[in-house]
Amino acid sequence: MKKLALPDDILMQIDKPARYIGNEFNSVIKNPADVDIRFAMCFPDVYEVGMSHLGIAILYDMLNKRQDTYCERVYSPWPDLHNLMKERNIPLFALESQDPIKGFDFIGMTLQYEMCYTNILQILDLAGVALLNSERENDDPIVIVGGPCATNPEPIADFVDLVYVGEGETSYPTLLELYKEHKKKGFDRNSFLREASHIPGIYVPSLYEVSYKEDGTIAEFKPIYDDVPATVERQVVKDMDSSSYPTKMLIPFVRAIQDRVVLEIQRGCIRGCRFCQAGMIYRPNREKSVDVLKAQAKELLASTGHEEISLSSLSSSDYHALGELMDFLIDDCLSEGVNVSLPSLRIDAFSLDVMSKVQDVRKSSITFAPEAGSQRMRNVINKGLTVEDIIGGATLAFKGGWNKVKFYFMLGLPGETDEDMKAIPQLANEVAAAYYDTVPKEQRQGRCQITISTSFFVPKPFTPFQWAPMYEAGEYLRRAKVVNDEMKAQLNQKSLKYNWHHSDVTVLEGVFARGDRRLCPAILDAYNSGCFFDAWGEYFDFDKWLAAFEKNNISIDFYAYRQRDLDEIFPWDFIDCHVTKEFLKREWNNAMAGKVTPNCKMGCSGCGAKSIGSGVCHNAR
Amino acid sequence: MRVRVKFEKTGIMRYVGHLDLMRFFQKAVKRANLPIRYSEGFNPHQIMSFAAPLGVGLTSTGEYMDIDLKQEVSSKEGLESLNQNMVEGLAITGFKYLPDDAEKCMSAVTAASYMVTYKNPKDDACYIDNIIDLKEKFFDEAASINIVKKTKKGERELDLKPLIYRFNLEVKDNVPVYDLLLSSGSTDNIKPELVIKAFHEYLGLPEFDELSLDIQRVDMYTGEPESFVSLGEIGDEH
Repeated sequence: MKKLALPDDILMQIDKPARYIGNEFNSVIKNPADVDIRFAMCFPDVYEVGMSHLGIAILYDMLNKRQDTYCERVYSPWPDLHNLMKERNIPLFALESQDPIKGFDFIGMTLQYEMCYTNILQILDLAGVALLNSERENDDPIVIVGGPCATNPEPIADFVDLVYVGEGETSYPTLLELYKEHKKKGFDRNSFLREASHIPGIYVPSLYEVSYKEDGTIAEFKPIYDDVPATVERQVVKDMDSSSYPTKMLIPFVRAIQDRVVLEIQRGCIRGCRFCQAGMIYRPNREKSVDVLKAQAKELLASTGHEEISLSSLSSSDYHALGELMDFLIDDCLSEGVNVSLPSLRIDAFSLDVMSKVQDVRKSSITFAPEAGSQRMRNVINKGLTVEDIIGGATLAFKGGWNKVKFYFMLGLPGETDEDMKAIPQLANEVAAAYYDTVPKEQRQGRCQITISTSFFVPKPFTPFQWAPMYEAGEYLRRAKVVNDEMKAQLNQKSLKYNWHHSDVTVLEGVFARGDRRLCPAILDAYNSGCFFDAWGEYFDFDKWLAAFEKNNISIDFYAYRQRDLDEIFPWDFIDCHVTKEFLKREWNNAMAGKVTPNCKMGCSGCGAKSIGSGVCHNAR
Repeated sequence: MRVRVKFEKTGIMRYVGHLDLMRFFQKAVKRANLPIRYSEGFNPHQIMSFAAPLGVGLTSTGEYMDIDLKQEVSSKEGLESLNQNMVEGLAITGFKYLPDDAEKCMSAVTAASYMVTYKNPKDDACYIDNIIDLKEKFFDEAASINIVKKTKKGERELDLKPLIYRFNLEVKDNVPVYDLLLSSGSTDNIKPELVIKAFHEYLGLPEFDELSLDIQRVDMYTGEPESFVSLGEIGDEH
């Protein structure tokens, strides 16, 4: 029988013990003696969240295709187990072998959201690895992070050895070969890290120094040694068709958030919404060919036995052959008992037709994400969606039998006025009115249900809004109240429902998103005072964070609420995301002027991503 | 046509709960390419049902699920293709076609047999020298075994004696091993923990901890006490 790291009495008292036993179908088992490199791939959140992540699935498959590497998985132990592991000194282990990860060569973690930073420390702490990179020894694992937040890794600079900036498919082979070389000749941590800094996309935070001006902004950010590059170029897969994609995916016992085949149809987005980090850093838009997708869909359904397939991309409606792909999925899958779950599609005649084939119209809802209520504000954020699009789409849907609509908006966007906020419920009211105009009384199944959700805008690095100020928590709530009050004044208010988020966590997210390495001691103190699983409302403790900030002289005002100067040096400026700072400035000015920029298929706006040499920039028009 | 699949759930799979196991089998049947029948409607689901659920922490050599197939697959092929899609701790041991009038496994179960012992070889129960004599007094010679059973609605008095069809005990390497056959199913479902707890109380042992027991369900039965038939004996291989 497979050995387990946790004893029976612990497994029998914790929630969902199957999170910790491994043994999932399609998981990879190797003999550790047969490999040179043991890699612990970690998603620093709970199992069900981490197991749903496509990026890890791609890297797990890619690394395990190598004969010399055994890549295993690690997720954050839930607090119930965390406490027991601490109490009994049980070191954190990898799921496949159940071996402690302290003995591994690499601990890799993905940074999908800022609120996972304390969970990184939890992983290292439970593993028994020094939290600070300066305190690690030669035989400690190399701690490497990647993912979207790696585009500003500075707030965690003291905790990690390497940062992989960009898409993992490209530079891992070079990095692993270099590691093997160093291991063969007698491993010296410093000389390995130094040489790793020469690999494209690899950033070694300990090899850079930062000096600051009196006002707290950066004076200079530079490598300590001449051979260490001053800029790190974000890595991008050039050809999506030939890029490594798993033919098998793991089947968790505990139901994951994504309990389905996830098929990535393209990377990047042509739209250029000015608040959206993914829309900028994943440029250029690169599509997979439809034949590759058909083959991958078939293979993945067969190897997993999933009864649902879903498409993954930032904007599926923009995929060039969506009609052909959907026809294929519907014809080939539905008959086999496989559901097709739809990605968020632009609501039009095509998408409604597809939806009516795969969903029960009366039970499902249609979704719009206008992000802003007024046309003025939508121009500011460059969201090319008009009132006519929304009312027209909703009217078509109502004719087709739908009566539920979901709306997603953001509050606290740059330059937002009370009028812009009020436009949110007004738009929802118009949609409700369209329902009552469209559907005759005798055909209605009660009222239509329009749900409005708002989140609070957080400015992110490498977006045109990276210079924008945030608001204090109280101001966000005031804005939510403006929306709520206006909603109650609407004629169709009984058909409207409004949800909004908490605002403390938004402020903290804002601090981390544009933070620098002076935040490291505060994050460490917060963890030591008991903060982790900050992304989970029930564990988020803002007071502990405020105490950690105060102790370390961290001003929220400086990181979040301040309007930044156009020529300020940002902590992430050393990263080259291909999208140039000049373009972002131009877009910031366009935003302030309410000027819309065309999408990449309409015309090139010269963002800089064309230099990569593939994708939408080079497609024949 | 309906097929009864018999399987084992052992080792580390004891930590996987019933709902998770059901989801595992839905996907395994799909991977095995068995021509399973789906229900009608917008959310079609496989026609698949399980006999009595097994609690987390228990192992079993006699678990059953019934599935409905659109076409016949030979028992050998069905068993092999399912086994290729199992993980460590799950093994398919039977694949039999049911007669048309066979009751579904879920409602058919009337009894289950268990092998129960102690996880800790130094458990208090291992130090009672005359435990076999005491068992005879507790069970074989008793006219009734009255206990208080906690239910959702409160507590109720219950006589265990007529619901225990077999209660054998032997001591192996100083550790008591129980062989039980208990009433099971939708009415009078008796868990082995309940029986051992009553026995512990009779023995005068301190606080009973059900997690101290290592419980294996051996098999499940249908029919009446005088003529129990294993769920796995019903039907034929094709």
